[in-house]
Amino acid sequence: MIRLITKSIVHRPVRNGALIISFAFIAASLFSGHFLVAGATDSVRQELSRLGADIIVVPAQYHAEGEAVLLRGEPSSFFFDSAIVGQVENVSGVAQAAPQIYIATMPADCCSALVQLIAIDPSRDFTIGPWLAQHREMPLGKDEIILGSQLVGDIGSTQYYYGHPFRVAGKLEPTGTGVDVSVFLRAEDARVMAAESVAMAYEPIEIPEGKISVVLIKVKNPAESTQVASRITDHVEGVRVITPQYLISTVATQLDATIRILDLAALVATLVSLPLIALISVMAANERMREIGMLRALGATQARIFYLISGEFVIIALAGGILGIAVSTVLLLSFQSYISVTVGVPLTVPAAGSFIVSALAAVLLTTGIGGVAAFFTAVRAARTEPYRAIRSGEL
Amino acid sequence: MIDVSGLVKIFLEGGREIRPLDGIDFTCERGEFILIVGRSGSGKTTFLNILGGLTQPSSGRVKIDGNEIGKLSDAECSALRFRTIGFVFQFPGLLAPLTALENVTLSSSITGVTPEDPAYARTLLERVGLPGKADTLPAHLSGGELKRVAIARALVNRPSLILADEPTADLDIETEREVMALFREINRSGTTIVMVTHNTELAPFASRVMKMENGNLTEYER
Repeated sequence: MIRLITKSIVHRPVRNGALIISFAFIAASLFSGHFLVAGATDSVRQELSRLGADIIVVPAQYHAEGEAVLLRGEPSSFFFDSAIVGQVENVSGVAQAAPQIYIATMPADCCSALVQLIAIDPSRDFTIGPWLAQHREMPLGKDEIILGSQLVGDIGSTQYYYGHPFRVAGKLEPTGTGVDVSVFLRAEDARVMAAESVAMAYEPIEIPEGKISVVLIKVKNPAESTQVASRITDHVEGVRVITPQYLISTVATQLDATIRILDLAALVATLVSLPLIALISVMAANERMREIGMLRALGATQARIFYLISGEFVIIALAGGILGIAVSTVLLLSFQSYISVTVGVPLTVPAAGSFIVSALAAVLLTTGIGGVAAFFTAVRAARTEPYRAIRSGEL
Repeated sequence: MIDVSGLVKIFLEGGREIRPLDGIDFTCERGEFILIVGRSGSGKTTFLNILGGLTQPSSGRVKIDGNEIGKLSDAECSALRFRTIGFVFQFPGLLAPLTALENVTLSSSITGVTPEDPAYARTLLERVGLPGKADTLPAHLSGGELKRVAIARALVNRPSLILADEPTADLDIETEREVMALFREINRSGTTIVMVTHNTELAPFASRVMKMENGNLTEYER
């Protein structure tokens, strides 16, 4: 039966090819939205996992810059008083607090690349902990840097920032977030670099004494991170907190318009295609009515005719769905960075689980649309009296 | 084999009642080759399709091998057609994407029943004079060859009854003779045949000839 259906599909390449493309468009529209949401959400989770932080404390007036650094890696420099670290550590529920200094490099000759420099205190830092834990043979030493995945530079090579030479000690795995375009270095090296920049760089950088940019926090009980974040806001003046949930909801908000457009495209494609596909199924059944009558004469039951007609459209829709997923995956992966910049959200390849679920859901929905479009035609064809079916087409 | 009594078929055409079959009684014994002749529109095809359960009579009773067709469910009637009846239509009705062999085994493909003897279909193609054509698509077969494939398709399940509707229409005289000789050979091997045609010249091939006229079936004077 399947062989009969597939041969019948192949026999009408133009019509069925057009149908497959229609279904592919529907599947691609449905899948792309899920891909973007899952990719962005996973990206944020990966970044937070990489940073190892449950809460990020930023200066209240630089909240947006902090988000931009974390989500999109837009280089930025901002500071607040390092005394904040002590205040934050005293808040109930805080297990660990690690200060970081954010320094944006200049688009000039000062540096090897336009990046975000993130200065850490290795004795307190847990932000690139997972990576460093895997590379214990290579602790971050004096004048050493660790590059984000998108940055160019071989391990062991030398890069210059504000005239100061740094040895590339390692490279992080991709996250699809700001971490990928960041350079990690020790805070004391950053301060030496800043001091030297007055003499060595066209645009000197200043890191004010006693200032830091953000405080990354690990809470004692991750389930209570929201309450701890509230307590920090209540007890520490001049700060805003960024939580994983907040970042994910920010990404969701930024993606909302894009998702709506994709959902609308899927809806329009479905609404336009469904009647057309239904009409094509009616035409296909009509032109094959004599064949259907002959098959009934050969012993096919009504149910078999129903499966034959609906099965053809289900297989076409399935093929279209798979094609749509394959093409949209290739396009989304090829233009991942472009989409990320255009939509303004971090984007990574979603985890295998959510990717498979999204792909299966899109294929099933598309196949369902094919089944619905052919359902009534298949019922009508199956119920047509064989004699009437055989004589159809006769004048 | 076939027992028909009081068969009536009424069509409504433009509000007018048409009775192509008006109280037909008919019996056919196993092994007979019955030719039903009649003018176009006399009801021959309608009668044949009722015998095969492809349409229902308005009234009357049709029994095939003791099974009253009107009382069978769709599945039972389909099974009867698959197991007992082989149809040969005026048009060959071969599926264009399938090869000759695949068309012959189509009933197995569409019903999902595995053929008892897969090699039999190929043997049949040889028997109807088409050796070496098993893998040929219908588009590359002549009219006579198409008809032969259709006959092989009707025979593939070893039916006890063949219902043939104008099987030699549109064929040249030579091919017509060949096809009729094939039917006679099939009949001689024990298969019952009921054939309808407008061509009275085919009468010599049949064991009994009947005439459909004015909704009734009568013996035909040869």
